[in-house]
Amino acid sequence: MVGAFVVMSVFLPGKFLTLSNFQSMSSQIPEFGLLAIAIMLAMLTGGIDLSVISIANLAGVGAALILTGSLFPQLGGGYGEILVIIVAILFALVISLLCGLVNGFLIAYIEAPAILATLGTMSIFSGIAIVITRGYGITGFPESFLFIGNGTIFSIPMPLIIFIFCVLIMALILNKTSFGFNLYMLGSNPIASRFSGINNRGILVRTYMLSGFYAGLASIIMISRVNSIRPGYGSAYLLQAILVCVLGGVDPSGGYGNISGLVIGIIMLQILQSGFNILAFSPFSKNVIWGLMLILVMVLNFYSSSFSKRPKKLKIQ
Amino acid sequence: MMTNNKNIQIQKIFSQSEVYLLLIIIIYSVFVAFLNPSFLSLGNLFNLSKSSASMGILAIGVFVVLLSGGIDISFTAIAISGEYIAVNVLLASGVDNIFFAFLISCLVGVSLGAINGLLVSYFKIPTLIATLGTLNIFHGLLLTVVGTKAINSAQLPDCFKAFGATNVFTLTGSDGVRYGLSVFTVMFIVIALLTWLILKYTMLGRGIYAIGGDVEAAERAGLNVSRIKFFVYCYAGILAGIAGIIHVSLIRYSNPTYLVGTELSVIAPVVLGGTRITGGVGTVIGTILGVAIITLLNNSLILIGLSSFWQEFFTGLIVAISVSLSSYQSRKSMGI
Repeated sequence: MVGAFVVMSVFLPGKFLTLSNFQSMSSQIPEFGLLAIAIMLAMLTGGIDLSVISIANLAGVGAALILTGSLFPQLGGGYGEILVIIVAILFALVISLLCGLVNGFLIAYIEAPAILATLGTMSIFSGIAIVITRGYGITGFPESFLFIGNGTIFSIPMPLIIFIFCVLIMALILNKTSFGFNLYMLGSNPIASRFSGINNRGILVRTYMLSGFYAGLASIIMISRVNSIRPGYGSAYLLQAILVCVLGGVDPSGGYGNISGLVIGIIMLQILQSGFNILAFSPFSKNVIWGLMLILVMVLNFYSSSFSKRPKKLKIQ
Repeated sequence: MMTNNKNIQIQKIFSQSEVYLLLIIIIYSVFVAFLNPSFLSLGNLFNLSKSSASMGILAIGVFVVLLSGGIDISFTAIAISGEYIAVNVLLASGVDNIFFAFLISCLVGVSLGAINGLLVSYFKIPTLIATLGTLNIFHGLLLTVVGTKAINSAQLPDCFKAFGATNVFTLTGSDGVRYGLSVFTVMFIVIALLTWLILKYTMLGRGIYAIGGDVEAAERAGLNVSRIKFFVYCYAGILAGIAGIIHVSLIRYSNPTYLVGTELSVIAPVVLGGTRITGGVGTVIGTILGVAIITLLNNSLILIGLSSFWQEFFTGLIVAISVSLSSYQSRKSMGI
């Protein structure tokens, strides 16, 4: 991370080390940062959640319908803007929790493989969003709602404040609660965790609900920042979010990874991202670089794990 | 005693998911034919089988990968790369030969598939992450290096158009309309047969089932797991290359942004056909029936009066339901 930072600062001093660049960087981090946390939660249990972006889209569409008054128009009349916004946010979060519940049910109780279950629900959720909006975007939200995505407090962007808050909460959940402890246990060895009296199914359902909840939070920031929602928005985030998880040291087979590693991964990716933006790379070539990085990190992980495993094997022999 | 045996046989038949798929297809076809009698005409059936051939070939590639216990989502990028590079090479070199196009597309397919295979078998990267990475690398490289320009029907080399119009035999209906069995359908059938033969009668094919069932056990039984996995991804790559050429010959238009993003509509029929993503279970027949059901559904959604907006929703629903059913069945068979 430091390396990327230094390289970018040396090569692009006039553009990279500016306050506005840091502000724009820190307003982009929260969106895919929250999505990355959502995917990390699923990865910690040894699964994956491919549906987070669809959940964010569907939740965003739900919130947008209330904000523009298509749903419950009577709210806006008597009670004022603030209530509409609160209801919209709650509605988005409830949708995302329900989506997470569907995922959790399929994975924990039906025992469907997480990849296929969430691949299916990914299509279902974004399909519902497309059917509701007929493929068009919804725009024009109340002015005070846009503060969430665009406002600043002491020149710190509002999304960043929300993000830091969410990261701290997640760190507390993972490190200080029994739920977090059980989550890691489940991820490293599901059979052992079941025999030690952990309710595997309950943990899985709660994990995917929490994952959905963070996707919902991401969607609120997302629609507020760009003042619109369109099904399919943010589909490029999936690769980036998985890349961030892998960069941050989360083991896709479960059990290993922590939030601080993830945050470092997020910041590193964002530094590279804004560097590429300044250099005016095309989105295609950016995708190539993200893909290459993903593979490269996995290959490096393979080598580092095979080196660290070698002495153990000798001992057994 | 006899009746008992018979019962067991009947039970065995009905425990196979293929039978249910076939029943669904028959009931559904009768239903649609009742609404629209021209549906069951030979001409329409030939047409449906022609337009679903490219999806079917891709599905067989995905089927083999799923069977080995992995997943491949980069096949659309491989198909479009093979197709677009072949079209461009043909245009640049002036050679107007469909076999040359197939050769190039398959070469691209097998080399890109080999990259997947290397990452999965040698570096042991989880298949989803590896192919998600390569999906973006392949497609991104294609768009940055080869180009983003679409090639329309007028610019497309003639061999593609001629190939697309080739029929194995042609019949003239009673109303004077000519229709025929497309060469695409025949290729699909040949590839399906070949895959079935490989899976059923070769050491390699049995190995694919074995490593899908239990990698550890397969390794201890003396199978070369890495080599089998490598082959699986190369095979999926070749099939993607073939499917790419068929796709461009069918729609007579070459756009490098096509196909990518439709991964799920190819994975759906495979899963529907009873293939388990955990590996080791699944048949070629099931995959073909799955392709048939998805084709029927997509073609009749509009007939029922649902707009195309619903297509994505239904594809997802089919995947979710069939995954749930097969997981439920496997749990029941294990007696848990």
